[in-house]
Order: sequence, then structure tokens, then C-alpha cells
Amino acid sequence: MKKLFFISLLLSYSFPASAELNIFACEPEWAALSQELGGDDVVVYSATTGLQDPHYIQARPSLIAKARKADLLVCTGAELEVGWLPLLQSKSANPMIQNGADGYFMATDYVSLLNKPTHIDRSQGDVHSAGNPHIQTDPHQILKVGEALTLRLQQLDMNRKAAYQQRWSDFKQRWRSAIVKWEKQAEPLINMPIVTQHDNWVYMIDWLHLNRVANMESKPGVPPTINDLNTVVNTLATSPAKAIIYAAYQPSKASDWLADKTGVSKVSLPYTVGGDASTTDLFSLFDNTLMLLLKAQK
Amino acid sequence: MYTKTTLAVMITSALFMSTPIFAGGVDDISELKTELLKMRQDYENRIDALETRLIRAENKTDNIEKQSNTSKKKTLASGASVFNPAVSVILNSQFSDYSQDKADYKISGFAIPGEGGLAREGFSLGETEITVSANVDQLLMGQTTLALHDDDGKTEIEVEEAFIETLGLGNGLTVRAGRFFSPIGYLNEKHIHAWNFADAPLIYRGLFGNQLVTEGVKVSYLLPTDLYMEVGVTGGNGDKNPGNGQHNGVGDWLVYGKTGADIGHNSSWQLGLAHWQASPKARSIGGGHAHAGEASEESVAFKGDTDISNLNFVYKWAPNGNMRQNSLTLLTEYFYLKDDGELSIEDELAQYDGEQYGGFVEGIYQFSPQWRTGVRYDYLGSDLKASDTELLDDAGLDYSNFHPKRYGLMLEYLPSEFSRFRVQVNHDRASSSHDDTQILFQYTVSLGAHGAHNF
Repeated sequence: MKKLFFISLLLSYSFPASAELNIFACEPEWAALSQELGGDDVVVYSATTGLQDPHYIQARPSLIAKARKADLLVCTGAELEVGWLPLLQSKSANPMIQNGADGYFMATDYVSLLNKPTHIDRSQGDVHSAGNPHIQTDPHQILKVGEALTLRLQQLDMNRKAAYQQRWSDFKQRWRSAIVKWEKQAEPLINMPIVTQHDNWVYMIDWLHLNRVANMESKPGVPPTINDLNTVVNTLATSPAKAIIYAAYQPSKASDWLADKTGVSKVSLPYTVGGDASTTDLFSLFDNTLMLLLKAQK
Repeated sequence: MYTKTTLAVMITSALFMSTPIFAGGVDDISELKTELLKMRQDYENRIDALETRLIRAENKTDNIEKQSNTSKKKTLASGASVFNPAVSVILNSQFSDYSQDKADYKISGFAIPGEGGLAREGFSLGETEITVSANVDQLLMGQTTLALHDDDGKTEIEVEEAFIETLGLGNGLTVRAGRFFSPIGYLNEKHIHAWNFADAPLIYRGLFGNQLVTEGVKVSYLLPTDLYMEVGVTGGNGDKNPGNGQHNGVGDWLVYGKTGADIGHNSSWQLGLAHWQASPKARSIGGGHAHAGEASEESVAFKGDTDISNLNFVYKWAPNGNMRQNSLTLLTEYFYLKDDGELSIEDELAQYDGEQYGGFVEGIYQFSPQWRTGVRYDYLGSDLKASDTELLDDAGLDYSNFHPKRYGLMLEYLPSEFSRFRVQVNHDRASSSHDDTQILFQYTVSLGAHGAHNF
């Protein structure tokens, strides 16, 4: 026991804390935002890639090792990571990232969520009691999270307060003008009828005023049944859609089937940074999403 | 939303263009310049004012949103029930059919301790598990799992686990105290319902009667390296099977180490090593259904030193790391137990030197979000030496060096993360006289708190 304690002391001293803030982002969009706002002052690790479903991640050894060294968790929250983040918090033994600590940052705490269920029951599928957590498909939400994250970074790393402020002002300006540009580009998309595969586009639909005529999964997280799909086919017969939309991380099987059956074109959207090869940051995420939607709209 | 500078630039450039350039005198030009500057200043001020108003308006709506959120939270946060711990309940039931008589079930070279035997034939309610957990305070969390099961017509409650654990103690250190599954082997630390097959691997059944428990303290240390490396030690009361008897101080010790990593985005692995040791005072062997510590007069007892070593390896593969869509899990474990001491029954005594070993390999393939299938192979061996083999006979230990083997095949339907239907077929040659085909149908569901996605 003494030996173990001694070894642990030795190790904790022989690895001095690096000068940069270690950020553990649960999803690539928050990794990208952390990088924008933290620049050279942070080292960012993304626990998931743009092609992974963040609901069903396991607390792998590699993630535990990363969580142990994190100064700050930047995650979505709202139960999106409920299956694995609590395990990482406890197994990492890291006091910085426990619930309520300064290093615990959940993006959904800073925006108001849509689709708050009035009735919580697992027979309704994978419902999140706090509301729909997939906020990153609306750039206005990113801005709100960015502001809160800047404050948090300044709180954790007070010596570089000015640098974080400067990066935030710079990002805010670029992001705002990008939003103006995107909203202008997206004008033809207003009321565009679409079908979605999973209920992870509500914020984008809300932002761009798209018209969702159907969702393939009748219950979130439960693969659509033949009945569900037939209902969608019938809906489309009366109110036709321009595109079937699914996220790059999702298997396209259901969308393929529907596209084949109805002739409506399917569109795989990047959904987050890394969702396709050309989506390398938050700006290209929305550039590419709009480009794909506009292409489908024609 | 236009930014201040872009607006200012546009307006000034527009002003410049709309103002004709006079070929007049220097005075005129400088006069114009000052006028322009004044206008520019004027516009910039106005834009500033507008922006401030805009930001104020934005903040206002934000505040309203925040207020409505907090007020909602406030209503939720009243009453004593908010501090209720997370509760989850596991329900499961099984239908079993064996080609041989369950009463004759034996594993050659092993005496099955505790509840390690086969489930009753026909319909049977498995263990109903209730897990309750919550943070105790700023320092600790607490968790208990109570298992309810029927035993000879009576319902028994068993405290499977009940422990407290430090919450983010720092420097990679975690301390746990109470009763918990010992950190030996990959499956041992998981609850039975989280296993990939309906029954325990033969080696778990033979050595532990399903699972090894520690009642004591565990200290673990996670190294601050990019490669996951964890080492730890546990000390227990030494009374939990295959330990036995009351000990002053620490009665069983365990040291373990684990390491693991990812290989790209598709694969990950973990390797574990552990060693457990105890000095049982009178471990009952072949005492039928005697629980630990209840060595009855008629059963053979072991006194001496017991050492167990374990090696385990897990490899998981999933395209892009999406385990739920399509994945392959390979798991293998090996245990080696050595007993060194004496056997006794009534006034008879014999020197005993026993080795029991074995392991299993299993492969699980998930071919869609709702379907999984898997195979498992068990292989055991033993080398039991006693100065008087009569005592081995009395203990019901087969010292013929027969190698028990079992093949298993399972198929699962998973309607959601919270439910599972499983069918499993075993071909079990656990003893030379037993050639059994076992068919198991099982459902397992979880109610309440969301289960953890352990690796």
C-alpha cells in the first residue's frame, strides 16, 4: 500500500501539468468550438468522431485514460452521453470533471431545448427527459454555447483571460457574418418539404423553416418497422417531399429503402464536424449542409 | 446580421462614390474631408447605438429564456424526492431443458460451490436484481445491488454488492469499501445479466460458484499515461469462497493490472492480469449446497493456502466504432487455482495439493442493432493429489484428470437497449459421465435508471 502511494506520488510529480488546458470534448462539434475559442492555449481531444453515434459509445480504456487528464469536459449533456460519461467521470478519478465542477461543461445547459417531452415513458423510445439534445444543427445555438464556453475557459485559465476574449470576439464576428450569409443562401429552402430518418434535425428545421412531412422512426432510437415505413410512404403520396435526410453516422438502410420506394432523393448530411471529408470545422459544416440541401431542393 | 465594420465600410464607400470630386482648391477639399469624417463618425455612432440596442434585445430574450428555464427547474427541485437515488431493476426469467438429470451435474475435478449449479428445469425466475446508487456527498458515492431469488420454495435476499467509493479523489486514485465483485477476470466484475451467455463460464462455476466477491477495501490507481493502465489491490475478510473462516486482519489479497487502447477507429482491446490469495481455515468441498462458512460435519474441508491467477483479453471491432450497428467481440479468460494444505473429514486427514485450471473463449457478433449471435467454448483441467485419495472420493472430487468441455451457441433479439430475448444451446461434457444438451430460453429487461455502457 505504501509502495503504491509512493509510486503514485512519484508519477504525479514526474508528469508536470502541461501549460495548456486539456479539453475532453464528447462530440466533434464541441471539439471544433473548443479549438476555435481556445486556440494554442488548449489541447483538444474528441471522444467521438463524426461517423459515430454518440448515444451508444462504450467507456473504452482509451477514453478513461483521456478523461483522467482532462481539465475540462465539453459535452452535449441532456442525457445524450448518459450511458458512458458517468462511467468516465468515476473511473478517471478526476476531480476536475465531476458533476458541477468547473471542468464540467454541458452545452445544453446554455440553450433552451426543443421537444421537451410531457410524458416520460420508455415505450416512447429513446426519449430524453431534458429535451432534444441535438442542438448543433442550428448555428445560433453554437453562438450561445460559444459565449458560455468562453466564460468557462476564462474562469479555468485566468491568466489568459484576454486571449480567450479576443478569440471569442473574433469568432463571434466571423460566425455572425457567416450566419447572415447562410440565412441568405437558405432563403430558397423555406418550407422545403423533407423526411427525416431520426429525430436529430429539429434545430435545423426550426432554424431554416423547413417543412418536415414525416419522420421514419416513429419512436426515437427504435429502428423503423415496415409499418412505420409504409406510413411514411402513404404520407409522401399525399404530401410529397424533396429529400430524405439522414446523418452521416447513421446507417442508410431505411433511407435507401424509402428512396427506392418513392423516388425521393436521399441526402446524407454531415451532421457534425468530420461527418464527411470536406467538413473539417464548424464553418464548413454549415457550408456543406446548405450546399447539400440546396442541391436537393432544385 | 451585419457587423459594425462591414457596415461602416459599405456606408463610407457609398458616401465616397456618391460625392462628386471637385477640382476646386485645397480648402474645399480639406473642408469636404472634415465633413466626410464628421458624417462617418456620425454613422458609426448611430450603428454603435443600434448594435447596443440589438444586443440588449438579444440579452433580454436570453434572460427570459433563462428565467423560464430556471423557474421550471425550481419547480422540479422542490420536495424531498429530488435526492432519491437512481434505481434500476433487472427482471429475468428462464426456461431450461436438459437431456440429463440436473441432480447428476458435476464438473470433473471441481466441486461446484454455492449456487454454481444448473438452473432448475422448466420455467424458473432468475435473480431479480435491484440496484440503488447515488452520490453520498462531495466525497463519496454509494451503491448496492440486492438480488432476490428462490431457494427451496423460500425467497432469499442476497446482498450482491454494497459499497462506497470515492468521487474524483484525484491523482488517479479511487478507494472502494464494502462488498463488491473482485477485480479478477473480465466477466467477474460485471453482473450476470450483463454477460453474453445465460450461464457462467465453466471455470467461474467451478472455482467460485459463479462469481468471486471481496468484502473489504479496494484501492486502484490509474496511471497518467495515454495508454490506459490501471493497477490495484484489494484486501478482504478471507471468508468468501474459495476463502473461508474468520481472520484477524486481512484474510484475502488481490492485486491486478489492466491496460487497453484503441487501434484506429474500428478496434479496441483490453488486457488484464490478477492474482488472488487466501488461507481458508475449513473450506467445505462437495458439501452440496452449503453456503460459505457453513462447513458441515459430514463434508470434507480444506485448510491451507489458495492462490488464483487470471489472465483475460478482450478485443472489440466495430466499423467506425458503432458497436450497436455491427460489431465483433472476442473474449478469452484463463484461471489457474492452486490449493496447498490438507483435507479433513471427521478424524481423517490427508495432505492435499490441488491444481484446477481452465478458461473459455467467446465470440459475439452483432449483425444489426437488434440481433446478436455468439459462440463459446469452455475447457477445464485439474491435477489433484492427496496422500489419501479416499478423502477426494468423500469430497466428490474426480481425480481422473478428465478435461471438462462445453460448447455454447446463442442468439439474441434486442428490441431496445433495455430488453433482451435470448436462446442458447450448450453441449456440456462437464464430467466423464455427463454428456448433456442444454437448451435455455431467457428474457432480461431493465427498468429505471439507464444502464452503463461498460467496455
